[in-house]
Amino acid sequence: MLLRTIGTVAVLALGASSAAAQTIDDGLMMPRGTLSAGVLYTHDSWDQYWEGTLKRKNGNIGTLTQQSLTWIGGYGVTDRLSLMAAVPYVWTHASQGVLHDLSGIQDLTFAAKYRLLATAPAKHGTFSAFAVGTAALPVGDYTPDFFPLSIGTGGGRASGRLTLSFQSTSAWFVNASSAYTWCSNVRLNRNAYYTDGQLYLTNEVAMPNVLEHTVSAGVNRGRWRIPLSLVQQRTLGGGDIRRQDMPFVSNRMDFTKLGSGVMYALAKNLSIQVSAAHVLSGRNVGQSTIFTSGLVYAHHL
Amino acid sequence: MRITFSRPGSFLKPSNRRPFLLAVILCAAALVAGGCDKVVGPFEVLPPLEPSTLEPTAGSWRMIVLTGPSQIAVAVPAPVTSAAYTAELDAIKSSQANLTSTQQQAIAYWSGGSVMRWNQILRELVARYNLPPAPRDEGGYPVPDVENPFGDPAFPFANPVYAARAYSYVSAAQYDALKSAWYWKFQYNRLSPAKNDNAITALMPVSGLPSYPSEDAVISGVTVEMLKTLFPAAVEEVTLKAAEQRNAALWSGKATASDLAAGLALGKSVATVFLARAAADGMRTAGGSAVLWQALADSATTRGEIAWISRDIPARPPMLPLFGQVRAWMMTPADIVAERPPPPPSTSSQQMKDETAEVKRTVEHLTSVQLAVAQKWNDGAGTYSPPGHWNDVALEYVRDAKMSEVRAARVFALLNMAMHDAGVGCWEAKYHYFNPRPSQVDPGIKTQIGIPNFPSYTSGHSTFSTAAAAILSYLFPSGATSFAAMRDEAGISRLYGGIHYRSDIEAGKLHGARIAGYTLSFARSDGAP
Repeated sequence: MLLRTIGTVAVLALGASSAAAQTIDDGLMMPRGTLSAGVLYTHDSWDQYWEGTLKRKNGNIGTLTQQSLTWIGGYGVTDRLSLMAAVPYVWTHASQGVLHDLSGIQDLTFAAKYRLLATAPAKHGTFSAFAVGTAALPVGDYTPDFFPLSIGTGGGRASGRLTLSFQSTSAWFVNASSAYTWCSNVRLNRNAYYTDGQLYLTNEVAMPNVLEHTVSAGVNRGRWRIPLSLVQQRTLGGGDIRRQDMPFVSNRMDFTKLGSGVMYALAKNLSIQVSAAHVLSGRNVGQSTIFTSGLVYAHHL
Repeated sequence: MRITFSRPGSFLKPSNRRPFLLAVILCAAALVAGGCDKVVGPFEVLPPLEPSTLEPTAGSWRMIVLTGPSQIAVAVPAPVTSAAYTAELDAIKSSQANLTSTQQQAIAYWSGGSVMRWNQILRELVARYNLPPAPRDEGGYPVPDVENPFGDPAFPFANPVYAARAYSYVSAAQYDALKSAWYWKFQYNRLSPAKNDNAITALMPVSGLPSYPSEDAVISGVTVEMLKTLFPAAVEEVTLKAAEQRNAALWSGKATASDLAAGLALGKSVATVFLARAAADGMRTAGGSAVLWQALADSATTRGEIAWISRDIPARPPMLPLFGQVRAWMMTPADIVAERPPPPPSTSSQQMKDETAEVKRTVEHLTSVQLAVAQKWNDGAGTYSPPGHWNDVALEYVRDAKMSEVRAARVFALLNMAMHDAGVGCWEAKYHYFNPRPSQVDPGIKTQIGIPNFPSYTSGHSTFSTAAAAILSYLFPSGATSFAAMRDEAGISRLYGGIHYRSDIEAGKLHGARIAGYTLSFARSDGAP
């Protein structure tokens, strides 16, 4: 996705019955007893990136493409509590230069989404609030020391998220969601590295925490759900990529990304989705264009 | 069909159902985050240095560049009974009465040993400046400009051979300066202020080593002058560091103002001698010219071989093609040529085909253990370089041996002179043969680490590492097995990375061992017990 992926779970979508998909940052819940599973395919590519704040191309990379195939699963424990899980297989490729492709199983993510409150249906609609806890750990034996080709950061993450949602009686909705992610330190295979203006004589890298805000709005009607979203990620620390240096796992990676998509219920238990997003601005990230498509099946126990 | 997210009955009513599973998830999340101590470390920890011996004979150990220990004169100090000296002691007492926490931290930092501290600082500078110039938008690459060191590109590009030379100049200059300091110390035998006045507390370990001229000031003076030339854009921070070091020596009761002044003057004078050598050692013209680059390629083609081509996009001029003519420490230009490895397998030979196939097979089936080795010894752009890696290795042995400053300087000087000579010899061979990298011969070969921008034969890592391991094994025989294992690992790491053939590595190791022999001959006869 970017020079570093902050958990595939950010786009993790879990279908439920009818038109309702569920992601960790939307205003939807799966009904109690619903078991869902699906796959998502993501194609993310960029040919320009920000070296610090300087936007550039790099002949030794050309176009960097990261593809992933993600298994997702979910379960509605109650009408107010859902559990979700995801694990992606990721592969990266640079169109130019001599650097080798990388691929492998990335991180296993678990999330629990809890509806804190929901107002009674009023004349205009319903307001609700959600809390989401997420934990992610690498399961594959991949290297975090070969960006931009590394498939992940190789560290554990935990995040807390709060989402506010309004669903109008006339089908449109608006959501606002913020998440704070704690990132565990990462270990490299080398005993020294230079980042953020300092030589570190250790194999351990302190990873900065991450703040993310999402606002989305759209239509949720019948078999259709059509959201438009704006995501802003701010990394709370880390150094810039130095001039003509390789990216580093703990770089300060910021971006603003605009996206839209369509989710459509093919049948009572089956939904498909396609979406696209584009990075508008960033720092130490690629200017990605991202396409996602997915298929989710839900079963009511 | 209705969306399912809001249901009557739960509006604003606290749930009676304990969100037990949510709690479980949040606990798991907290466990993940619990490992999130952002403080990384430990760094190289340097406990207060208490040398196991004073090295009273070090003033007679053989010099590298100086003609002798008294080449630079140090004036007779004022007697310890003089009013001037008493006033210096009073100044220390008054400083000690009002030490801030910043000053105490400076004392603790420099008490770890100043040769080792400056070695850490030097490695940091190499890592900071070890970045190639970015291509120009209109094509081609700018050249780092010593007259504009703060620009883009910064000066220098501290690539492996620039770094090898820098480590060696700093270490050799420190070593000669300290031998001279030791000579004068035992000429004048003025003890440290903490020994001369028991109202002064020794805030660093203070030995019976005479303190005039101050070894701290000698090291600060010689090092800063060398670094100002080698890393001119770092002038402000290294000057501040050096001043802090001298102050720490004063505040700690280790040296008086006149001990420091004499040491600083000696250190700077020694640096002048070394900088004169550096100015004329051939480095300034080592980049060559477009005419030379073409001649190198033509020479290989004329011999019927495939000439090296830069793998960078856009193609980058070869890295310092005339570094092989830069003056070595222990070898003459004739020695460099005489020790040149035999030719590599012809680029059209079956052996080369087989070796290219081996590289491809290796990178395509790389195990995680092999990748870890490739990354451990990568030491590519943005790092302290292969010579820096071996300084990193050496430091722990120096520290654990509780060496005096002059003996620590000897270790780093011998190590870095041998690695500089290895760099010169290796570069001479690389540009003599101008042999292509595996990924040039077979573009299907993709590398697991960045590819260096110079010819393949022989492997610089193998040459540097074999020379370094030989020197360290001589100086620390108990570590010989470990050094040999590191040498072999560093060598083979380049095959795992996909950037060298096996014959590059094997020839580089043999070459590095021969080159180390010159420095070993010096070390065996330099008078150090």
